[in-house]
Amino acid sequence: MHMADALVSPAVAGTMYAVSAAAAGYSIYKVRRESDSSKIPVMGVMGAFVFAAQMINFTIPGTGSSGHLCGGMLLSALLGPYAGFLSMIGVLLIQCLMFADGGLLALGCNVWNMAFYGCFIGSMLIWKNIMRKGASRKKITAASITGCIVTLQLGAFSVTLETLASGITSLSFISFVSVMQPIHLAIGLVEGIITACVLCFVYEARPDILWGVGGDTVSARGRLTFKKTLVVLSVSALVIAGVVSLFASSHPDGLEWSIERLTGSTEIEAEGGVYDTAEKLQDTTAVLPDYSFKNSDSPAGTSVSGVAGGVAVIAVCVAACYVFRFFRHSGQSGLKGEKK
Amino acid sequence: MCEIQNLRTEFKANPGQNENDRFFEIDVKGLSFSYRNDGGHSGRTLYGIDFHAHKGECVGIIGANGVGKSTFLKILVGLLDGFDGKINIGGLELNKKNLSDIRRMTGYVFQDSENQLFMSTVYEDVAFAPQNYGYSPQQTEERVNMALSQMGIEDLRDRHTFMLSGGQKKLAAIASIISMTPEIILMDEPTIALDPRNRKNLIRVINSFSQLRIIASHDLDMIQDTCTRVVLMNNGRFVREGSADEILNNRQLLEENGLELPLGSRLRQSRNEGNNGE
Amino acid sequence: MKSKRRFKSASGQMRQIELLAEKDSWLNRIHPLCKFLVTMLYIVLVVSVHRYDLNGLLGMCVYPIVLFMLGEISVTEGLYRLRIVLPLVCFIGIFNPFFDREVIFYIEGFSFTGRIAVTSGVISMFTLMLKGILTVLAAYLLVATTTIDKICSALRMLHVPKILVTVVLLIYRYASLLSSEVRKMSQAYSLRAPGHKGVNPKVWGSFAGLLLIRSIDRAQIVYESMLLRGFQGEFNDMKNQKINKKDYLFFGGWCAILVAIRILM
Repeated sequence: MHMADALVSPAVAGTMYAVSAAAAGYSIYKVRRESDSSKIPVMGVMGAFVFAAQMINFTIPGTGSSGHLCGGMLLSALLGPYAGFLSMIGVLLIQCLMFADGGLLALGCNVWNMAFYGCFIGSMLIWKNIMRKGASRKKITAASITGCIVTLQLGAFSVTLETLASGITSLSFISFVSVMQPIHLAIGLVEGIITACVLCFVYEARPDILWGVGGDTVSARGRLTFKKTLVVLSVSALVIAGVVSLFASSHPDGLEWSIERLTGSTEIEAEGGVYDTAEKLQDTTAVLPDYSFKNSDSPAGTSVSGVAGGVAVIAVCVAACYVFRFFRHSGQSGLKGEKK
Repeated sequence: MCEIQNLRTEFKANPGQNENDRFFEIDVKGLSFSYRNDGGHSGRTLYGIDFHAHKGECVGIIGANGVGKSTFLKILVGLLDGFDGKINIGGLELNKKNLSDIRRMTGYVFQDSENQLFMSTVYEDVAFAPQNYGYSPQQTEERVNMALSQMGIEDLRDRHTFMLSGGQKKLAAIASIISMTPEIILMDEPTIALDPRNRKNLIRVINSFSQLRIIASHDLDMIQDTCTRVVLMNNGRFVREGSADEILNNRQLLEENGLELPLGSRLRQSRNEGNNGE
Repeated sequence: MKSKRRFKSASGQMRQIELLAEKDSWLNRIHPLCKFLVTMLYIVLVVSVHRYDLNGLLGMCVYPIVLFMLGEISVTEGLYRLRIVLPLVCFIGIFNPFFDREVIFYIEGFSFTGRIAVTSGVISMFTLMLKGILTVLAAYLLVATTTIDKICSALRMLHVPKILVTVVLLIYRYASLLSSEVRKMSQAYSLRAPGHKGVNPKVWGSFAGLLLIRSIDRAQIVYESMLLRGFQGEFNDMKNQKINKKDYLFFGGWCAILVAIRILM
């Protein structure tokens, strides 16, 4: 479920960074207001726990792909949504640095897809409501499995939207979604079962650790009733649907699309998926020069000559580096020689 | 109990000064403690403990696993509250108001150094306390250098904490305490999981300190090499208090309390027996 | 046991990266903030290249080539990193030639085959893969030459909230510890359950749950050890390296070069 940098466009990445940063800012405000400094080491160590647990991949039979333990649900069941969200951000940042998944630019997307849904939707809407009248094994299992499935479905759906809005793939919305959602349904189920096992164990061994059980938390008055939950769920469904139709009907490339919007050069195309007919594609290629800072009339011509140019640049660059290295090394060995 | 009482009065009487004069660095009277509703611990953990320690001495607290050694040390630095009795450290009574002052003059070396070294490099970890106590960057630097050189680990300065060996971790953990220049050093099982060489090095380091040291351990050989006075604990009580020689050579007493003679004493005793036999 | 090997490789990988980052070379000495910003700029520029603009991407290759060669960093190590990202990127990219079959030009230059039809899908597949490679290499270059605490100090200079940076540092500190703990646990498990593939679902709860409770207890002790050293809820800022002329040169130079390449090519 990790997004790679290559799969997002700057516009999408920037938007997701902004949205995630807003959520993070609010969480920091909340954690600070609780001013419980003992939470900081717990956040760190629990983040490390999720990091360790996320290394286990659950291979999904038949597809050859695998999913991670998405920790957001687990962390927020133990730390509450705000602290849980912040430690999930930490986990994702460490992952992208340590394993160089190259998720630096896509971090905003990853935080949103994996941490936000898991921590906020999962714990605020699902976990807290089920645990309102105290916990039991059954309730914990139900909450974990529904929580994981729902949050992973939302996450996978966001991955689809972000990838499509970035305009790097020609897959149609329908085919992409029909691949992503079932896979993540399976992952969510497996993950939900594991999370349920772990939380049930915690419930029996140290029930005091669990967050939000019996509505005894600070924000008891902010608790959502079933009615409110329904309202929130339907509103978010509407918003998501709105965003989907917006992206699905717009130009494939988010940045290009926004440039066009700014300059008003093209009309927004009607529905019909990201990728459509050949004619539309020609429209796309026709606006290429505006986008890629290139003043050429035929993309074909520039591509050929340009590729040759690019290769030449690389060759010159490699040669220059070699020369530089040669002189530096000979300079160093020369110095050493003089010292002797 | 009567015997213990006598021993204690002897010890108090020995240096012959009055208590009011901030004479005792640590003065504990009638300390009792129990963990609240914690599954593993049922009932009381510490019963009516009286304990005194002077400036500059090194006291060993010995006993088998789970007799309350760590609990006792943790209470002294206010990590566990809700105890009964009076605790006076460096002339200050242990309560909420004085807690930060008491912690400032008390260094606590945890059993597992991993928990103590939470910053990413040795330098940052050793600098953690001076920075928190508001020293300027230059003063912090000086203190870190002092602590590292005292422990002989200047070369580890910029190393990552998770890359250290067990012995290095222990030394770094102690350095992170020394950098706050405590007057009292409490150590919980300092030699655990150290190899003989690191253990020997640690003993040398402990002996080089001039502060009041209280070491909780069941490594009686190390206690014998470092402490002048020993307190034997069992079931949350102080069973016997006396000089290191006296207690660490008393085979019956040690075995009754789940310990055995330290190797040094055993060797000496078997040698004596051999001599007697001849 | 698959998971066991993963843990081993995870902590081993962290150690390896850390060792690399601690090396004392000119690239390691460049101020982390400058490296971080250049890396981000580079990734943004690479990603912003249009999906049919293979030519523009080739120009962007200059940055990793120069740094790998002059920084004398092992390219194979960097390419090894691609094994996680590239399959995903390829999986998404591989569909492009199938769906996007519009021939946009013919390559005429080849005398032996006549002309080759190049569809936009093929080009977009190649650009996507190249983007995947370049972004990962750039991130690798940053991580392999900068320790995590330096990156964190750069993040602090960018006013990333302290609490977040602290949590990141703590996670980093305890991630390797817990991973090795998990490794030991799974070793102990596999020794007593020969022939099992991974940990049996029946004990998943207690297996991970025990580790979890142990982690929470550890967090408590870590907090205590912080308190005993005067912790009052805020971490102090790490000492900052000074930005000197070389760093400005590195930053300014690369920004100029990268932007120039991006516009001109």
